[in-house]
Amino acid sequence: MKKLDISTILASAIHESKNQVGTLLYQLQSLKDVIGSKDANQKKIILIEESLKKLNDEWVEYLYLYRLASDGYDLHVDTFLLDEFLDDQVFALHPSALAKNLQLEYSCDASLTGIFDERLMTAVVSTAVYNAFRFAKSKITISAKKENEFLIIAIEDDGQGFKNTEEDGDEFLEGNTGLGLYFAELSANAHVINERTGFIKKESSLALGGASLTVFLPQPSNIDLLYNV
Amino acid sequence: MAQQDFSKKKALLIEDMAEARIMQRKMLTDFGFTSIDIAMKAETAIELLKNQTFDVILSDYNLGNGKDGQQLLEEVRHSKLIPNTATYLMVTAETSIEMVMGAIEYQPDGYITKPFSQAVLQRRLSKLLETKERLYNVNIALDKGDFESAIAAAKIVMKKYPSLIGKCERIIGESLLELKEYKKALSLFNKTLKSRKMPWALFGKGKSYFLMGELEKAEQSFRQLMLDNRFFVSAYDWLAKIQVVEGKLEEAQSTLIEAIGRSPKNILRQMELGKISLDLNDSMTAEMSYRRAVFLAKYSCYNTADVYLNHLESLARISDNGPLLPRQKDNFDSTLKKIHESFFDNPDNKAKAYSCEIDVYLADKDTLTAKQIFEAWLSEVKSGSSTAPTKQQSASYAAAFGGIQ
Repeated sequence: MKKLDISTILASAIHESKNQVGTLLYQLQSLKDVIGSKDANQKKIILIEESLKKLNDEWVEYLYLYRLASDGYDLHVDTFLLDEFLDDQVFALHPSALAKNLQLEYSCDASLTGIFDERLMTAVVSTAVYNAFRFAKSKITISAKKENEFLIIAIEDDGQGFKNTEEDGDEFLEGNTGLGLYFAELSANAHVINERTGFIKKESSLALGGASLTVFLPQPSNIDLLYNV
Repeated sequence: MAQQDFSKKKALLIEDMAEARIMQRKMLTDFGFTSIDIAMKAETAIELLKNQTFDVILSDYNLGNGKDGQQLLEEVRHSKLIPNTATYLMVTAETSIEMVMGAIEYQPDGYITKPFSQAVLQRRLSKLLETKERLYNVNIALDKGDFESAIAAAKIVMKKYPSLIGKCERIIGESLLELKEYKKALSLFNKTLKSRKMPWALFGKGKSYFLMGELEKAEQSFRQLMLDNRFFVSAYDWLAKIQVVEGKLEEAQSTLIEAIGRSPKNILRQMELGKISLDLNDSMTAEMSYRRAVFLAKYSCYNTADVYLNHLESLARISDNGPLLPRQKDNFDSTLKKIHESFFDNPDNKAKAYSCEIDVYLADKDTLTAKQIFEAWLSEVKSGSSTAPTKQQSASYAAAFGGIQ
């Protein structure tokens, strides 16, 4: 028998498990409906639900990570209105923020558009926000702007901030392996326009005083567009 | 975003897994749908869509052993079983989403990844329905095939809702192609590509060049698409079309074989490969594609006599080189049976089926049976229910039957 690649096996195992999380979420939903919103256990159920959702999102991240790292991911870029994209992200993550008593908001110019892979960036933003949930005291913001032909998406919190060392990658996922940061980096790197490659930056948040993860995604410049025609 | 009133909308839910089906049905009921039809597989959905109209179709990508959600979408849009005014939302898993996004020609109005909460589904559907409302006049015109009105309506929508510019430009470009205004279409797709790198615009550019007869430039566009994303399988179909026009049949065949490797369930693609392979006298490949087409045709909108007759033809051509193997003969008989059941009331179909049958028996040196079939054919010709054999056919049969009384 042909020897299988262990990472491929792990990826499909994650996929199987992810499907089971999906089933669990469905079952939990029906349980929630049965017990009604006034029940004392409702809060616990919401906590379980949010944890399962996070687990699901993490596994999505790992699956993309696997594909990005093994060159099996086909980038699917499209043009998006950032106001809509960020609104979607906040909408999806809002229940988790609420469960943790944290404020989650976004801001950007209402007419700002950007070109990127929506699924990858959804996974990157949720990874960063989940991470910020662990450190934020009260507030997390997501913002977007365009500068020097890069779309810049920043996730900031009012926690302690990144420690000022080079090897603080591990801190990003407290006690974890820094996978989240690595994933964000690979996702940004996957966005390339005529030799301009996307990247990330870890900084201090000027607005909130905590950590800031900034994702830079190249956008077509007027020169690139000439090549395209 | 305005709250949608779902209570007057008719929904069709297509999902093969019981658990998910119950859950999604409940979600739809909870946010106001009162009319929800259910299909457990694509074939049932097609029957429902033939007899009723729906405003919202929520379909899983994965539908068990039969057709998947994307094929269903392509079929019902292609055969206009669902109007442009209806909203098609595809439910996908992480593994299937690439197939959905890779289908440039027939994309769902939106997709949602499992698992999702009721709130997320409601929000997604509300947004999609809002967009449909804004594009109502455009879609009504498209459904009537009135492309000039569709263009005019799209221009109005674009001005009013800048976020719909992309959608409107695409509709205008494709309508211009329908109106055979290829140059105008090309300049519009180019204009879009200047500001945004959209696959559909590059696809439209390739189609415009193809229709203008500029095959080299068309090929460039389709090759770029193939390079951008290996899931853009329709780019392969168009590249094969170019190669056929250029007379490069072998290249067209290998292009289609590659496309089928990526997306094997498209019946039209299988038929095209079969046709090209027959032209190349590659009856083995032709038989394989037509056999798959026969399998896919069942319960499909493309369930036409051609599919089956071509399969017989490909087997008859195999028999030109010697008798069919038992397995091949079984395939022949099974397809022939389907023709007898569904398509035998057409004189041309009868003639074609008889001629293939005679070829196959003659190859097996069973002249007696071949002759009986020929006689049956002739008596049908007499009664007017079958087309007569050609002179060439009659002559070659007479020569083959020569020794038998």
